[in-house]
Amino acid sequence: MLVPLAYNFRSIFVRRSATILTLLGIGATVTVLTGFFALSAGFRAVYTQGGRSDVVYFLRAGATSEGQSSFPRERADRLVKSTPEIAPDAKGAPLAAMEIYNAVRRQKARGAGETNVPIRGVQPASFELRENFRVVAGRAFKFGSDEVMVGTKLVDRIQGCGLDDVILLNTTPFRVVGVFESAGAAPSEIWGDYERIGVALAVPWANSILARLKPGVNMEAFARRIKDDKENPCKVMTEPEYLEAQTNALGTMLAMVGVILGVVMGVAAIFTAMNTMLAALAARTHEIGILLSVGFRPFAIFVSFLFEALLLGLLGGAIGCLLALPLNGIETGTTNWDTFTEIAFSFRLTPQVLVTAVIFSLALGLFGGAIPAFRAARLAPTEALRRR
Amino acid sequence: MNDAMIRARGVRKTYTRAGETLTVLDGLDLEMEEGHFYALMGPSGSGKTTLLNLVGGLDAADEGELLVAGESLADLSGGELAAWRAANVGFVFQAFNLIPVLTAVENVELPLLLSPLGRAQRREHAMYALKLVGLEDRAKHRPQQLSGGQEQRVAIARAIATDPKLILADEPTGDLDRKSAEQVLDLLVRLNGELKKTILMVTHDPHAAERAQRIVHLDKGQLGRVETRAAAAT
Amino acid sequence: MISFKLVRRNLLKHKMRSALTIASMVVGIFLLCVLRSLVVAIESGVQGSKRDRLVVQSAVSLFVSLPLNYQAKMEQVPGVAKIVKWQWFGAYWQEPRNFFANFATDPDALFDVFPEIEIVEGSVDDWRKDRRGCIVGDKIAEEYHWKVGQTIPLISTIFPPPQGETWEFHVSAIYRPKSTAIDRRTMFFQWEYFEKGVEPLYGESPGTGTYFLRLAPGADQNEVMRRIEAMYENGPQRVTCSTEAAFQMQFVTMMGNIPTLMMSIGTGVLVAIALACVNTMLMAFRDQAHDVGIMKALGFTDGGVGAYMLGQSLFLCLLGGLLGVALAKGSQPFLMMSRMGAMFPGYDVTTRTMVIAASLSAAIGLVAGFVPALAARRMRSVDALRSVE
Repeated sequence: MLVPLAYNFRSIFVRRSATILTLLGIGATVTVLTGFFALSAGFRAVYTQGGRSDVVYFLRAGATSEGQSSFPRERADRLVKSTPEIAPDAKGAPLAAMEIYNAVRRQKARGAGETNVPIRGVQPASFELRENFRVVAGRAFKFGSDEVMVGTKLVDRIQGCGLDDVILLNTTPFRVVGVFESAGAAPSEIWGDYERIGVALAVPWANSILARLKPGVNMEAFARRIKDDKENPCKVMTEPEYLEAQTNALGTMLAMVGVILGVVMGVAAIFTAMNTMLAALAARTHEIGILLSVGFRPFAIFVSFLFEALLLGLLGGAIGCLLALPLNGIETGTTNWDTFTEIAFSFRLTPQVLVTAVIFSLALGLFGGAIPAFRAARLAPTEALRRR
Repeated sequence: MNDAMIRARGVRKTYTRAGETLTVLDGLDLEMEEGHFYALMGPSGSGKTTLLNLVGGLDAADEGELLVAGESLADLSGGELAAWRAANVGFVFQAFNLIPVLTAVENVELPLLLSPLGRAQRREHAMYALKLVGLEDRAKHRPQQLSGGQEQRVAIARAIATDPKLILADEPTGDLDRKSAEQVLDLLVRLNGELKKTILMVTHDPHAAERAQRIVHLDKGQLGRVETRAAAAT
Repeated sequence: MISFKLVRRNLLKHKMRSALTIASMVVGIFLLCVLRSLVVAIESGVQGSKRDRLVVQSAVSLFVSLPLNYQAKMEQVPGVAKIVKWQWFGAYWQEPRNFFANFATDPDALFDVFPEIEIVEGSVDDWRKDRRGCIVGDKIAEEYHWKVGQTIPLISTIFPPPQGETWEFHVSAIYRPKSTAIDRRTMFFQWEYFEKGVEPLYGESPGTGTYFLRLAPGADQNEVMRRIEAMYENGPQRVTCSTEAAFQMQFVTMMGNIPTLMMSIGTGVLVAIALACVNTMLMAFRDQAHDVGIMKALGFTDGGVGAYMLGQSLFLCLLGGLLGVALAKGSQPFLMMSRMGAMFPGYDVTTRTMVIAASLSAAIGLVAGFVPALAARRMRSVDALRSVE
């Protein structure tokens, strides 16, 4: 079958103003969506990367995040000692850490108001349990002292989170001695000694217990055993499971808004594309008559118009992606409603986001072009030739 | 009857196309009296349509003085020119130039929108003009539902709707068959005879020109021969 | 002066094009209204705040409770009329997705401090008498089909129940707030039930997350705030005392850039539909250039034909915009019944939103009509009549 593609390709450039406006219209739509998807991807990435499936969180039954969970200290202690599935550390003690998860009120940088910065009281094993944990500036805090380290994402976003700044916890001042980096949400947190943070905040309990399991432990059976334990029933989640659960509220909201945006803006963009293609059709009725009389088949005309619409969509999508490109890496933050604390994340234009955007823009072209292409194919050659 | 409706003195008009300057009217002097029917003839490119556009105030001369219906057109601003045109000039084009989305009577009514007339009066005037051209029964038809001759008669009705002194017709019969052309020419002669309209008609058709009282020939932007035809009657 | 008929006829001549343009406007303006209403929803608590109410929380953390003995001491501060404590309970019904705000509080004090809570079904007396009683907002009662007298088991994500898996409550009454300071999806229950339930676990009586203070008429707000903060300067728990508006604002700032994000999306939508309308109007002008030439020859002024093109654009955009606004307002009850209504209880397409949306539609109409109007003004009828046909 012969399709006059070269003809369509040229005509896109001939009707310049309509083409440019349509491309920009589709581009604006794709930019917004791409930006939004990039935001969602950035948020998810914080919680889906770096979780180890052999690391587990112990939470109180019923709790869905650390902030809600609590264990009296002796019970937490007993739990760690009475669980043989926990792997031993270099010295043979269980590789497990009791942690406090709380939040402190801090002012955001640049006068953006107050927010709740997560603060974590940790034990020595905590470092070993985290993936890719490293100090990038200053030094690690000393256990037993009123010192803290801050995550890299806090330094520029939150006031008083630079080296040598002092953070007042209730009535106790803590000095910032280091900045750390790690996978996951930890770079948005302040870390200090479990004991000292507990005393300063008057928190006499542990919020969660982290532990690494011995290789080969059956997770399902283990979770069931701990859940049904007579003395100390609690909930066990692997790190990936736990992190995934922290994206519930915000993740759902982002997904919902994304779908609404995609559908609504997509519909508007399809209308625009359709308008342009109808105008192109009207202006070229005579030419289509010629193509038909020369011997092109109606189906070829249909395909060629659809091709033109897809090309419009693709170019618009490319413009949209290009316009969204500068967003990549921009940091932003909001409260994660699952933890009630501030989480920093960045726009991430992942290949997946870009592919979604391109498919979306092709779909816009396809839906916008179908009706005009159908109309073009149905023109009677003699009638079309008569029109100017 | 001896007042000049149109007086041109040294009118000059040039166009620049692709870097070349083309002199269309070269110091034209011309006088046309009120109440007469003039035919303007000449070969292609002789400046007929340009002169018509200048007289109708659609275009401005580069040099020279042009007095039409007592106004010096060079002295009028764009807005004043439009108002002057609405009151004094009716146009008839070769391609009829009706607005496709409006009915016949609405097309005729269009220039009346610029007059202070009320809605009912406007409709009355428009219907009267349609009646004059013999198309009152086609008032509700769209242009595409009319024949070419009928379209041109509607266009003439539009030209006279505001009762202007001067009617400018550019090849009014150019797109019409013989019979329709005769009807249109009859109509123009009647408008001249009965309503005393001054008519300036550009044409290249000698048969059409025969119907005018005077035939003015243009050649290379200059005034040529002027024939006066005594036998110009209905 | 220009016939509206001509505008209408030309728009009708290209039915498909006009319909598509209007439809894009409808969709775009609808989306804008929704986005702005979401921002309104986020900020609705701030709007409903009362000037005579203050809030006391831990100065350290949202997660830290204040001792109960603070109440008696704060009552001594001159200017403080009434105090009520609210403790976040973090419970859901049956499944985590059925989540709503629920607080342990004191029935009597609650109504003293929040007179805008109006009981629409059941009675406050029943609530007072029933230790397990609670009052629920009309929105949740509607959503979960709860009736007065019904027993509802809830699961708290923070406080394990004294026995079994759930805490049991009796719906004593249903309320509807008279202002947005109180949410229609909240449940309040008896402090006593809460305290007796959690005490055995923690071995001590629990604290409360927040105290709401109602000021006596004429009290000096700033002075009260200063004195209360000073009282606990050195512990045991430092407090922050703020106006109700500032307290509500903190939840807005916690949202961080989300309102900004919504607005940037809105801007993107606006740009996209404006481009679509500009495109349409350029097409319309291309079709009508010849007509405009005729009109000029007939004596229509530059301003007249400009107004005519602008009129078409305004008509299209305003029609689409107003339909979009109507759609946004009309769909509000349905959206409120959906999951979105549950997430954004303050969602409201306000008059202000509608006015802004309508003005933006008109602005798009002006922008889209500008170039064709200018072109129509500048066009020389001689060219128009020559170039076409």
